[in-house]
Amino acid sequence: MKISTTRFGDISIDESRVIQMKGGMLGFEHLKRYVLLTQDKETPFMWFQSVDDGSIAFVVIHSFVVKPDYEPVISDGEVKVLEIASPGPEDVVVLSVVTIRSDPFKVTANLRAPIVVNAEKMLAKQVVLVEGDYPVQYSLAENTTVFEGKAREKGKMIPAALAP
Amino acid sequence: MLILTRKLGETIRIGNEIEVTILDIKGRQIRVGINAPSDITVHREEVYQIIREQNILAAEAGSDDSIGGGLPHVWKMLKNPKEEVE
Repeated sequence: MKISTTRFGDISIDESRVIQMKGGMLGFEHLKRYVLLTQDKETPFMWFQSVDDGSIAFVVIHSFVVKPDYEPVISDGEVKVLEIASPGPEDVVVLSVVTIRSDPFKVTANLRAPIVVNAEKMLAKQVVLVEGDYPVQYSLAENTTVFEGKAREKGKMIPAALAP
Repeated sequence: MLILTRKLGETIRIGNEIEVTILDIKGRQIRVGINAPSDITVHREEVYQIIREQNILAAEAGSDDSIGGGLPHVWKMLKNPKEEVE
């Protein structure tokens, strides 16, 4: 299928790569279909691009790249909605929405409300974590040392089904 | 807004599948139990607003081409902050 995007122009994507977003992103509830895109393979940043509104895209990053000891607890209800049969790291991908700012050192990632993706079923949901007290604005600059090496492993962390 | 008075332990039913029960009252704090289908998400209003605002901010910042196009730059700066000489 073809989609028109503000950022990448007209792009052609395989329908199997479309992620159904349950409930949409908070504040963007009307948009339910997204696709994961990369612009530059050197960075761990990806784009979570809306299929239905080409002007809407979020910069996302694999949450565990940002915080290796991240332990998001997902409720039974959400596990059910995402049709996660047996929670295993190979099929479940956790992405954090990144807020890019003109000063790179002020860039933050939202660890409180990750996008949890069932890569096998291509279902996703923005989950608001109740436990863990994770910040909505987690500074990347203050935590670079931990994820420097991890960025290179990114390829392994994203299942083939999702890989841009 | 529909306003109902309920006693401790009483329930309000919304539609066929949502139940809201008053579990406990202590001074100005009220504990509310909610039973809803798993596809209905329940948020504390203030948390919902914070996440929503952050999403909107993220989407706006991402739509700024001068910044969005500079993701490799952002990443480079974060990886090697000491190289910033400009």
